Amino acid sequence: MSQPKKGRIGVAHIYSSFNDTIVHITDVTGGETIARASGGMFVDADRLEGSPYAALKAAMAAAKEALSKGVNQLIVKVRAPGGIKSRIPGPGAAAAIRGLARSGMLIIRVEEVTPIPHDGTRRPHGRRGRRV
Amino acid sequence: MTFYQAKIKMPRARIGVLIGKGGAVRRRLESLTGARLSVDSRTGEVTIRFDSPPGDPLMPSKLVSVIRAISRGFSPEKAFNLLDDEYVLEVIDLRNYVGDRKNALIRIRGRLIGERGRARAYIEGRTGTSISVYGHTVSIIGRHYGVIPAKEAVIALLKGARHSTAYRIMEKKLAEMREIENLERRLASKETGE
Repeated sequence: MSQPKKGRIGVAHIYSSFNDTIVHITDVTGGETIARASGGMFVDADRLEGSPYAALKAAMAAAKEALSKGVNQLIVKVRAPGGIKSRIPGPGAAAAIRGLARSGMLIIRVEEVTPIPHDGTRRPHGRRGRRV
Repeated sequence: MTFYQAKIKMPRARIGVLIGKGGAVRRRLESLTGARLSVDSRTGEVTIRFDSPPGDPLMPSKLVSVIRAISRGFSPEKAFNLLDDEYVLEVIDLRNYVGDRKNALIRIRGRLIGERGRARAYIEGRTGTSISVYGHTVSIIGRHYGVIPAKEAVIALLKGARHSTAYRIMEKKLAEMREIENLERRLASKETGE
């Protein structure tokens, strides 16, 4: 891996739900993907896709690819599903950021970009809730 | 130079807790996080400022959740747990479940806390979390795998389930979380063993 002396800045979009963690590194415009990895690529069981361990692996894999392409500084944007779903990032979010930092990425800042509705759509399952 | 700045609104009634006796809590929070806090006690606006990049990139968002936890009724000691990577804060708005009638809120708060705090203490003990019922919210601080079951139990109670039913739902979720945690630990240890 030949690394330029001075790396470029990228944006790491981390989408963290209870069921998966997606680490997507793009350039600063957000238009060009540099690297992408998700928790599900590193574990076999579906229920582990959102776990901190899977998130760590995904983050390290994405970071490795991005580093090889000359990106060594990141602005991190974390989001949870948001809207009417969970608004706190899942268990993988903190682990993913740690994974990026551990792989040698310089983290410039971390933003939370969970979409919060200014009063959006109605929660599913109606007035009487989900009947199972 | 200002590296990062943010403003948070908090209830005026909780401002005193954030500042502490003679400013002790505020000073401690500042030294733990490396941020500067300025509090406007008239409007309830708290401004946090980092003059230089914090050693921990997650620090600004952690600090915001500490302040949020204090404004949702937690003691500073419990709120400071949030400075740990593994701890999360979950805030549930009671008004989404029982409407905003004063009497409905009083009734549901009573159900969450239980007789002499028994319901709350039980959920806290089983899940290793701290729970605060304050105003129109109920908030949970803990590790992810404890907060999820605790939240399930709280939501069951909000929907009108009996306490015993809520505990059963919580136990089911707890078992599930334990299983995931174990699977994960096994994976991680296999890795380091190789």
